[in-house]
Amino acid sequence: MFDKIDTIKTHLLRWSGVVVFLLLWEAAPRLGWLDAQFAPPFSTVLGAIHELAADGSLAKHLVISIWRGVTGLLVATLVAIPAGFLLGLRLPVWAAVLDPFLRVLSQVNPFSLMPVFILFFGIGETAKIVVIAWVSLWPILFYTITAVRNVDPLLLKTARSLGITTGELYLKVILPASLPVIFVGLRIGAGLVFFMIVAAEMLGANAGLGWLVHNSAMNYQTPRIYAGATFIVILGYLLNRFLLALERAFFSGEQEQVDLVPARRSSAPSWRPGWRSAAAAASVIFVFLLAGGREVYLSNLANASLGGHLGHQEEAGEANVEYTCPMHPFIVREKPDVCPLCGMRLVRKSDAAHGAGH
Amino acid sequence: MSNLAENIIPDQEPKIVIRNIGRTFHIKKSPAGPHDFVALQEISLEVQKGEFVALVGPSGCGKSTLLDILAGLAKPNSGAVFIDGKQVTGPALDRGIVLQGYALFPWRTVRQNVEFGLEIKKVAKGERREISTRFIDLVGLKGFEDRFPHELSGGMKQRVAIARALAYDPEVLLMDEPFAAVDAQTRETLQDELLRIWEETRKTIIFVTHSIEEAVFLADRVAVLTANPGTVREIVPIDLPRPRQNSDIRSSPEFGWTRHKIWELLQNQPPADHRAGEQRPVADAISPSAAL
Repeated sequence: MFDKIDTIKTHLLRWSGVVVFLLLWEAAPRLGWLDAQFAPPFSTVLGAIHELAADGSLAKHLVISIWRGVTGLLVATLVAIPAGFLLGLRLPVWAAVLDPFLRVLSQVNPFSLMPVFILFFGIGETAKIVVIAWVSLWPILFYTITAVRNVDPLLLKTARSLGITTGELYLKVILPASLPVIFVGLRIGAGLVFFMIVAAEMLGANAGLGWLVHNSAMNYQTPRIYAGATFIVILGYLLNRFLLALERAFFSGEQEQVDLVPARRSSAPSWRPGWRSAAAAASVIFVFLLAGGREVYLSNLANASLGGHLGHQEEAGEANVEYTCPMHPFIVREKPDVCPLCGMRLVRKSDAAHGAGH
Repeated sequence: MSNLAENIIPDQEPKIVIRNIGRTFHIKKSPAGPHDFVALQEISLEVQKGEFVALVGPSGCGKSTLLDILAGLAKPNSGAVFIDGKQVTGPALDRGIVLQGYALFPWRTVRQNVEFGLEIKKVAKGERREISTRFIDLVGLKGFEDRFPHELSGGMKQRVAIARALAYDPEVLLMDEPFAAVDAQTRETLQDELLRIWEETRKTIIFVTHSIEEAVFLADRVAVLTANPGTVREIVPIDLPRPRQNSDIRSSPEFGWTRHKIWELLQNQPPADHRAGEQRPVADAISPSAAL
C-alpha cells in the first residue's frame, strides 16, 4: 500500500520538472515575458499539433521519421557490430593503428559537412539514412570493440577447453557475453538518431518531422516548428526508454555482477525474453520497415510528380487527387480547401505543377 | 613374449602420462630486464584410470600452467602429455575443466550451462535435456534448472560448473582450485559431494589446490610441487581408508601426519634428513598450527 503511494510520489516528483516547464512555456508568452511570435504558448503549439493530426499529416510525418531513424540505426548496427568483432578480435593491430583515425571520423558531424554527404550520397533516401547511420555508428563500434576484448577470460578458457570452433566461440560465447556492453553503445547511438533527424530531412525531403520543422521555419510557421520539435523529443525519449527496458529485461542479472545496475533481488526465477519473443519483435520491426518504406516511397513519388514528372501523374490516377496552394506548394490536402497561409483556394496538384510551369 | 608382456595388463596402463614437461615464459618487461622465467621444469607424472591425484604447491609453482597444458590450452616447450597413449595436441571433449571462478555463462540458465558442452558436441535436444537433468540431480540442484547464475550462491555455482564439466562425459576431470572461492563450511560439503560424485562416475581427476588439507582429504596421491623452477618434489600416496566423506577422518592421527609431511615438503626442508635428525612426536606434528 505504502509502496504504491511512494511510487506515485516518486513519479510525480520525477515529472514535476516537465510540468513546471510546460506551465512556464504557457505563461511566459501570455505574460509578455517572451515574444509570442518566437515562442508561442504551449496551447498554441497543441493547436498546431491538433491541426496536423486532424488532416493525417502528423501520422505520416511520424511514420516516415521513425522509419528513417530505425533504418539508420539498423544499418549502423549491422555495420558496427561485425566491424567491432573484426577490429577487436581479428585485427587488433589494425584497430590500434586505426584508432586515432576512427576517433577523428567519429567527430565528423554530417550536419556541418552536408555538402560532402550530398556529393557522395545524393539527396535521395540514401543520404538521409547515411547521415543517421553515420552518427549512431561510432558509439556502437567503439563499445563493441571494448566489449569483445573484455570478455571474462575464464569463460573463454572454459569454452576453449571444449575444443569449440571459432565460429561457435563468437556466436555462443563472445557475442552473448559482450551484448550488455554493446547494448549500451546501441542506446547511445539511438539517442543520436533523433538528434540528426532534422539534419537528415533537410536534404531534399518532403515529409518527416525534421522536414516539418525545417519547412515550418522557412515559412515562419512558428507553432509548427515547436509541434515538430515536441514530437522529435518525445520519439527520442520513447526510444531511449524502450531500449533501457530491453536492457533491463535481458541483462539486469549480468550487470549486477559488474555493478553497473543496482542489484534487484528476487527469490523467484527471473524471466527473460526467449528466442520466440525476439523473433516476434524482429517480425514487428520488419513489417514496420516494409510499411514505413512504402510510405516513404509514396511520399517521394508524390513529390516527384509535384516536380512535374508527367508519367507519375498519370499513374497516380484520379484516386489520389491532392490539392495544393499555387503559392505554397508544400501545403497539400486531400480535399478542396483554402490555403492556411494565404487563404487562396487550393488547386489540383497536377494543375499546380502545370501552372508553375515545371 | 617374455615377462614384460605378462606384466602389462591393459587396465593398469596409465590413463595420463606426463613426460618431462618444461614450460618457459619470456618476460620482456621487468625491473631486472628481459629474462626467461622457468614455470615448469622436468615435470613427470603418471595417473591411473579412475585415480584422484591432487597437485599442491606454493603460488608460482606452475600448477595452473600444468593444468592448462593438460587441458590442451597451452603448449609445453618440451616434453609431452599422453592420454590413453595418444599425445595431447589441443583441447578436446575427453577432458573437462572446472575453474576457481565458476566461469558460468551468465546469460544461460543452470540447465543451459550444463548443456553447453553437449551443444558443442552436437547432441540432440531431447538427449541433452535428459543428460542435463541427470547431472543437475547428481550435484543436488534439482529444482534450480531455470535459475540464472546470479541467482545462485557460490557453492551452487560451483556445483553447476562441476555438472557442466561432467555432462559431456569426459574421462578426465581437471579441476583448478575449484573450491578456493567458497566459505569453509560450503567447501567441506563440496569436498564430500565431489568424492561421492567421483565414486559414482569413476572419472580420473587431477585436482589443483593450495590447501594441503583438501589435497589429503580428497586424493589417492598428492604431487607436491615446488616453485622456481616448478618441479615435482615428491609424490605422496595417501593411505587413508575410503569412503572418507561424512567421516571423522580429518581428526585422525594418520591424516595429521600426512598433512604435516606434505607441509614439510612444501617448506623445502629435506624431509628425510630432518626426520632422521630428531624424533618428532606425532602430537606435535598434528597440531593445527603445523598445518599452516
